[in-house]
Amino acid sequence: MKTARCLCALALWPVFLLTPRPCFSQNVPYARILHAQSEPESWLTYGGSYFSQQYSLLKQINRQNVSGLKIAWMYQPSRPVANLESSPIVADGVLYITEPPSTVTALDVRSGLKIWSYTPALPEHVVSIGLYATSRGVAILDDMVYVGTADAHLIALDAKTGAVRWNVHVADNVMGYAMTGPPLALKDRIVVGIAGSEAAVRGFLDAYDAKTGKRLWRLWTTPRVGDPGAETWGNGAAESAGATTWNNGSYDSDLNLIYWGTGNPAPDFNDDDRPGDNLYTCSLLAVDADTGRLKWYFQFSPHEDHDWDSDEPPVLFNAPIDGKPRRLVGFANRNGFYYVLDRSTGKFITGVPFVKQTWAKGLDANGRPIPAPNQEPTLGAGTLVYPSITGGVDWTSPSYSPQTGLFYVSVHETGAYFIKGTGKIEPGPPKGIVGGGGIRALAGEQSYGAIRALEATTGKLRWQFKLLAPAWVPVLSTAGGLVFSGSDEGNFFALDAETGKPLWDIQMGHPARSNPISYEVDGKQYIFVTAGNAYIAFTLP
Amino acid sequence: MQLSPEQLQKGKQTFEASCSTCHGLDGAGAMGPNIQGIPFRLGVDSVTSVIKNGMPGGMPAFSGQLDSQQIQQVVGYLLTLTRKDDGQVTGDAAAGKQVYDASHCAGCHIISGEGGNIGPELTTVGQSRGPNYLRNTILYPGTDLPQARVFLETGGRLQFLFVRVTTKDGRTVEGTRVAEDSFYIVVEDAQGRFHSFRKEQLRALEKQPGKSTMPSMKGKLSDSQVNDLVAYLASLKGSP
Repeated sequence: MKTARCLCALALWPVFLLTPRPCFSQNVPYARILHAQSEPESWLTYGGSYFSQQYSLLKQINRQNVSGLKIAWMYQPSRPVANLESSPIVADGVLYITEPPSTVTALDVRSGLKIWSYTPALPEHVVSIGLYATSRGVAILDDMVYVGTADAHLIALDAKTGAVRWNVHVADNVMGYAMTGPPLALKDRIVVGIAGSEAAVRGFLDAYDAKTGKRLWRLWTTPRVGDPGAETWGNGAAESAGATTWNNGSYDSDLNLIYWGTGNPAPDFNDDDRPGDNLYTCSLLAVDADTGRLKWYFQFSPHEDHDWDSDEPPVLFNAPIDGKPRRLVGFANRNGFYYVLDRSTGKFITGVPFVKQTWAKGLDANGRPIPAPNQEPTLGAGTLVYPSITGGVDWTSPSYSPQTGLFYVSVHETGAYFIKGTGKIEPGPPKGIVGGGGIRALAGEQSYGAIRALEATTGKLRWQFKLLAPAWVPVLSTAGGLVFSGSDEGNFFALDAETGKPLWDIQMGHPARSNPISYEVDGKQYIFVTAGNAYIAFTLP
Repeated sequence: MQLSPEQLQKGKQTFEASCSTCHGLDGAGAMGPNIQGIPFRLGVDSVTSVIKNGMPGGMPAFSGQLDSQQIQQVVGYLLTLTRKDDGQVTGDAAAGKQVYDASHCAGCHIISGEGGNIGPELTTVGQSRGPNYLRNTILYPGTDLPQARVFLETGGRLQFLFVRVTTKDGRTVEGTRVAEDSFYIVVEDAQGRFHSFRKEQLRALEKQPGKSTMPSMKGKLSDSQVNDLVAYLASLKGSP
């Protein structure tokens, strides 16, 4: 397939016939990512496609044979890593992965052997407040691989060798800015978000020229005095902070819109200095890819004070509503509600709880929550609220299967005591978490997790597979009728996508924290995931 | 480590600003683990090092944000964060040692390398458990199970939970849960044998907090003997 693509390129560039030049062996132009479904053997962007569906069209591994799945190879970094949440890109025989905090490694997809590795020079003291210095992966475009670093640089590497092509300073790490999310590559640009809400930074979304690293636009995600939305900050937005963009987004090329979630306002639990809705925190933003202008927004949790970021990758899908085909976005929010929006307009279509929640009596006709009384963080022993600070689900990717029309999500069934404390935003570098309070977990064994299958257009529960504890594991669904995910105790497993029946499992010794993905090489389908220090590829014998 | 009340107060303020979001305002665990009494378990130097340099699993390095004095104050404050219902030692430890031996506790528990291995080792139990907890467990074993962990990410997990499993072919095993994941459970029976089960092969899995493999000493020991035994167990601790 690769050869055919190269010959095609030669035909388009007759000058090459006169002066023969080698084809670039690593080359992923935008069109390949845009049409990712036409090469299911690859995995070209964080969520598998611009729609972030975490869905693979491969079906060699299926309900009938998945019980025979075995480890094909494992890779472990030369130094132990912490907080491995890295999801890979697979293209042209190479699997690109990160090793926290910010190393990028290229592996041979057949053997797991390391081809190259690049480690940026990080400062002696990387500031990581309210987060850990992890990296959820890279993006690829043309002949370059892109990574955001723990000290908030965006670096472009040559995909073949790992050599640095360019390195730009995105934001000031000393002020608490860091990068944990994978970049999103589209057209000729690299879109990146930023982390640091607990350091009270002001969030933004950036786009950089893929070839040069020149910044093309920046969208601030909180207003300042005089900006639209400033009226939603009781202090006039003079110090508006939060709404960070620390995960990955999605893209609809027809609408030319990027969809990206935003995090909590700061301080998290003490809202005394920020009355109002606090736009654009805890929201989904639809952003013009060319200009960076905000086309629409939908705020899931106005005036949020439970740390319920909305940074899960938004899942785009097309399905009929009342008999009419619609462009939709599905979002299982940390606040415990599953939302379906029209992604052209941002109009609310439906929203239902997908876990136990006590903070809202429901959603109104526009999707705005109707607050329940006495669910705010309080002084002293605190207030018991469901879901907990980690939400119904946090950042881990859900999955949508066009085959079943189901939305699969790993849920947390737990609450927490939310305690209000003191917390002021102060000028200068942050001295610690600007949380304005704390939380206390439920004792005993009152919490559990589950993989839940929701009807994507309604949020209605179709089935669940219960887990011993709430898990922080993303989900993959495949055309083989399977759902892959994991437990907090280290199980990795396959479920029947129609029924939730377990069909295969393995204890990996550590929970997975990265997106399970699938690729194919030499006619064999692989399932890939990470756990602890291990990067593991499974296949059928 | 001796700190003035002013230094301890500063340590408390630093703890609440920099540590409590993850470890809870009382150190009992939130996003991060319960760290009550951790200087007793790891030692002051190790805890200082962990605060300075961080550790895998999410603990950030604070050496760039806190100076050595602040870290020392936080560690000093951590030394004061113990179970609030610890209670007082009223008995005599030497007499308690005799109660321990006469009650054949060593049949099931190891202290300093000596004893049976059905129950948990008690060599340093005084570090992690207070007098009230010890007394309650001697009289009412299984009713106040310690938390193996309380992460906000994943919730709590109890240690020494008593379970009863019934297999689909009718076999029943009772005992202490040793390990469990979403697919398997491992149970230690009263004879100390491990039994591993795949959950889909079970007809029933009953978790029975309040029960224990350990026999209650209620009615077998006098109040003063219990107090002496508590004093002996509470004395089993290393130095911070």
